[in-house]
Amino acid sequence: MNGSVGPMRVLVTGGSGLVGRAIERVVKKEGEEREGEEWIFLSSKEANLMSAEETRAAFEKHHPTHVIHLAAMVGGLFRNMRQNLDFWRYNVFINDNVLQAAHEFGVVKVVSCLSTCIFPDKTTYPIDETMIHNGPPHESNFGYAFAKRMIDVQNRAYFQQYGLRYTAVIPTNVFGPHDNFNIDDGHVLPGLIHKTYLAKKEGKPLQVWGSGRALRQFIYSLDLARLFLWVLREYDEVEPIILSGTRDVFDIVFLVGNGKADGQFKKTASNAKLRKYLPDFKFTPFRAAVKETCDWFVANYDAARK
Amino acid sequence: MDGSVGPMRVLVTGGSGLVGRAIERVVKEGGGREGEKWIFLSSKEANLVSAQETRAAFEKHRPTHVIHLAAMVGGLYRNMRQNLDFWRNNVHINDNVLNMSHEFGVVKVVSCLSTCVFPDKTTYPIDETMMHNGAPHDSNYGYAYAKRMIDVHNRALFQQYGRKYTAVIPTNMFGAHDNYNIEDGHVMPGLIHKTYLAKKEGKPLQVWGSGRALRQFIYSLDLARLFLWVLREYDEVEPIILSVGEEDELTVKDAVDAVVEAFGFEGEVISIRDAAFKQCFFNSSTNFSFFPAVKETCDWFAANYDTARK
Repeated sequence: MNGSVGPMRVLVTGGSGLVGRAIERVVKKEGEEREGEEWIFLSSKEANLMSAEETRAAFEKHHPTHVIHLAAMVGGLFRNMRQNLDFWRYNVFINDNVLQAAHEFGVVKVVSCLSTCIFPDKTTYPIDETMIHNGPPHESNFGYAFAKRMIDVQNRAYFQQYGLRYTAVIPTNVFGPHDNFNIDDGHVLPGLIHKTYLAKKEGKPLQVWGSGRALRQFIYSLDLARLFLWVLREYDEVEPIILSGTRDVFDIVFLVGNGKADGQFKKTASNAKLRKYLPDFKFTPFRAAVKETCDWFVANYDAARK
Repeated sequence: MDGSVGPMRVLVTGGSGLVGRAIERVVKEGGGREGEKWIFLSSKEANLVSAQETRAAFEKHRPTHVIHLAAMVGGLYRNMRQNLDFWRNNVHINDNVLNMSHEFGVVKVVSCLSTCVFPDKTTYPIDETMMHNGAPHDSNYGYAYAKRMIDVHNRALFQQYGRKYTAVIPTNMFGAHDNYNIEDGHVMPGLIHKTYLAKKEGKPLQVWGSGRALRQFIYSLDLARLFLWVLREYDEVEPIILSVGEEDELTVKDAVDAVVEAFGFEGEVISIRDAAFKQCFFNSSTNFSFFPAVKETCDWFAANYDTARK
């Protein structure tokens, strides 16, 4: 894609998270790494990206040609509802520090990570990439949502002022090994996995929040990782691209609901743009991906983040 | 409003600008109250893009209230070229001021937005609830989003800490102490400067556009009086539009006529629409209620030409 910089040195921020670990596995264990490439997986232990100085130090140390920017302050429904200010401010700092350092260090391309939870709350469905800014996001996480949206604003501004093609992907609900399985955070699948594991272990009923009727598109982290690599190497637009699995409505029977919030009822995203570019990309079947994730959780229970 | 903090110490950021100077004048002319202290901060004293310098200013002045006017501003053409800078610098300024205010226990911050931050594709009239309902105009989206995010920050501060920081949304402002740079493309100050020069040099007045664009103009002194009301009495977090009514919307041609009359300009007025088309405006003496404000501004500009920002 950009032969002039030689082989890529790719810095992955948030490298120890759900998506970062998936990219690492795809790159190192599944043969996606190319000759002469170097992949650096940065974690918050090495650099606190809320600090401009620490971010710059990380870029000085690693001198990347490309960046996959996954690092963020994230949390589930309930934490967002309590701390919209923190989610807004800290994510704006992280994003500005990474994008600006990338610009200053001559990084050729940055692929950032948005989320379908940032789309307008009142909208028609399915949502597509042109609709991100067409209305306020859901009230529960407006701080996080606006901070993520502003990555797209900043990308467009880098392109308009400097011709840089920094871009972003918009995954739907991600799940997989190395997730944060904290139950209170309220991320759908990891929370469910953890609760089911405990319910089985303790011989108790499985209690699920909400009505069970909320609709979601899920994407397995390894599928997302493979698509991230394609975006990094081949996707040439500044406008973001939705990365989503097929539309499934899951007919799961819930045993007990205790009236907690559903969050957004639905956030159906269109993968028409992705399909235009990659008509033949195969997603891992949902049940198989869930099984792999649950098996990983069981095997790694002690060390898993929760 | 908040007797518990005693008399207000009000820090006005961007204190030396168009609105800051108007507030200063209104405060001096009886708008201020017993025991109040008003501090007008300029960029010479503190560069608010820097968190450290902002903190130092708050440490020095210890305000109980803040009117936050400071911003990186520019007209149409500069915005179009530098959306990144307008986005980043204004986000930094706003975060520094709002965050320091919160940290220093400031009771209330009134920030300044603009009608130019509203969605480009929209129904009219625009109201306060519509601000985030679509992308702003492409020419200044960096500035526009940075300003919109003040409202996001305000709402988040209220949600997380109960602070009632708010914002106003003025329409097109004009008055003394403006930046009269012609290339920047702000309607009134640009017109005032051009008419002054046209009269001085005995040349025609060349006006960009057809003159049919519609605007609600607000005089800086009126805006200043409203700012004081918002600071003292307006209790919502949701921002408030400060503007003359819809019935007082004027065309740019109306503004041209007012400026021409204020300067007593008797030369030709030419509309530059495109190279192949010239159209003359007729000098009319339509009676506008905003004419005295225009006259005051033009007189000020003529009297202060050498030192005026341009």
